[in-house]
Amino acid sequence: MSFVCPGCSCLCDDIEIVDGRILHACRRGEEIFEKYKENRAKPMVKGKEVDIDSAIEEATEVLKDSKNTVIYGMDTTTVEAQQLGIELAEKLNAYIDDNSSFCLGEFVEAILRKELPTTTLEDVRDRAYVMVYWGANPFHSLSRHMSRYSYYPRGAKRPRGYEEDRFLVVVDVRRSETAKLAKKNAKFIQVDNDDELVDSFFKVMEGKAAKYAKEAGIILNEMKKSDLNVIFGGLGLKYGLKDLGKFVEMVRKMNEVAPLYFIPAGFHANMRGFNETLFEKTGYVNKYSFKDGKGDVDFAFTSLLQNGKVDTAVIIGTDPVSSLPYDVASKLKEVKTIVIDPRMSPTARVADIIIPSAVSGIEMGGTMVRSDGARIKLEVIEERDVNDIYILKKIEEGL
Amino acid sequence: MRFSKFLKVEAEIVVARYALVSDETKSRFEPVIFFHPEFAKRSGVKEGDVVEVEANGRAVKLKVKLSESAPESGGIIPNGIFASYLTNFDGFKRFKANIEVAEGEPSSVGEIIERVKP
Repeated sequence: MSFVCPGCSCLCDDIEIVDGRILHACRRGEEIFEKYKENRAKPMVKGKEVDIDSAIEEATEVLKDSKNTVIYGMDTTTVEAQQLGIELAEKLNAYIDDNSSFCLGEFVEAILRKELPTTTLEDVRDRAYVMVYWGANPFHSLSRHMSRYSYYPRGAKRPRGYEEDRFLVVVDVRRSETAKLAKKNAKFIQVDNDDELVDSFFKVMEGKAAKYAKEAGIILNEMKKSDLNVIFGGLGLKYGLKDLGKFVEMVRKMNEVAPLYFIPAGFHANMRGFNETLFEKTGYVNKYSFKDGKGDVDFAFTSLLQNGKVDTAVIIGTDPVSSLPYDVASKLKEVKTIVIDPRMSPTARVADIIIPSAVSGIEMGGTMVRSDGARIKLEVIEERDVNDIYILKKIEEGL
Repeated sequence: MRFSKFLKVEAEIVVARYALVSDETKSRFEPVIFFHPEFAKRSGVKEGDVVEVEANGRAVKLKVKLSESAPESGGIIPNGIFASYLTNFDGFKRFKANIEVAEGEPSSVGEIIERVKP
């Protein structure tokens, strides 16, 4: 039997456990399966350990009294739990947001709005020739991305694999581990300003001189050899670009030269699931207010905390104390914090109420959405009754 | 006594995912900074040193490791609690920091949590 690794948005579905050994997983994935019983959260209210039902009841009471609640996270739980989280936000007339609002959400939104053309990782494996890792270092962030889906596999229409049938481009501000792979049939472009490379592609297509004219020219020519080329955009791209619209326009214009697609590279296992689930319900991928009936930058979790707009935060399966700047994370002390998480994370350690949940993909089944939009069914190794679905249902029933 | 103990140098810091410094149970996160070997040499910093990294009016102490994947004019701080403590959204994944060789142990996760919610 194969399991799905919930460690990142690759959602590798070939994990096997044989005689206690975890097979095929990357280092992170192996650890997720091996150590899922370690550092588990305990039900707590204001620093005192309680039983799970008391923690849920206390959380429900806090939410009943709250005037402005934000529900945040859910990128590591299943689509089914995300649907319940969104329902809960609606019932509470609350704000809802996830990590994607400061991660790759705007790229996912552009894909869902059909502004950026996209494809599947299977198509990339079978057909892609030019593959650009832009501001992404899968060596650390998506460890099996290149071996399962992109550079190394011998695809149906790319039988000679990376030796001759792929053209690798890495764009980064430093010579990352992935950049070091860019040798034969490859190009590493070290940028200081990503917008300058975007400008260069435009100028080369217009026959003008540009800072990265040589590199852009080579890539555009290589793209003509294939009916499928792809950009994998990571956080380096997100924070390197001043204007996403210009990047989207660049991809559109490059498609006049040869087919080019975009797939986000990076982020939590089911961040795209959250984006798609909220988008289906509201037309927005994140930063949504049920009270105002719209999405807005002011409704980002970070803005709400910094502007003192909420009195209660329900944080599900994510760790803002570790991932958000101190100026934002330190505002958590000014609101009532309810953390629902399998782990005793740094955020759980500052929470008023901790409700321990199950590890998705190990203790809870369901669906997650891979970075390219493929829906993947999770298997269960050891079912745990108290999971995100149970907790969210109990809270909603208690309101 | 090393002369570099009196020097403060400016470094370009890139915040990047680094899979080998944390575990997936959220119980361990190494207080570490990866300097490019050339930058370390120029700055008089050696592998194993503890340095104070200061940015945006906040400082942490991190243990030095060397990596040729680091930017040539500075280092990488792995994506996580120490990098987040130093950054703001204006330089969330790339910022300038002042570096100085320091005495004592590297900062702990507990220290940062204490600063977030005393």
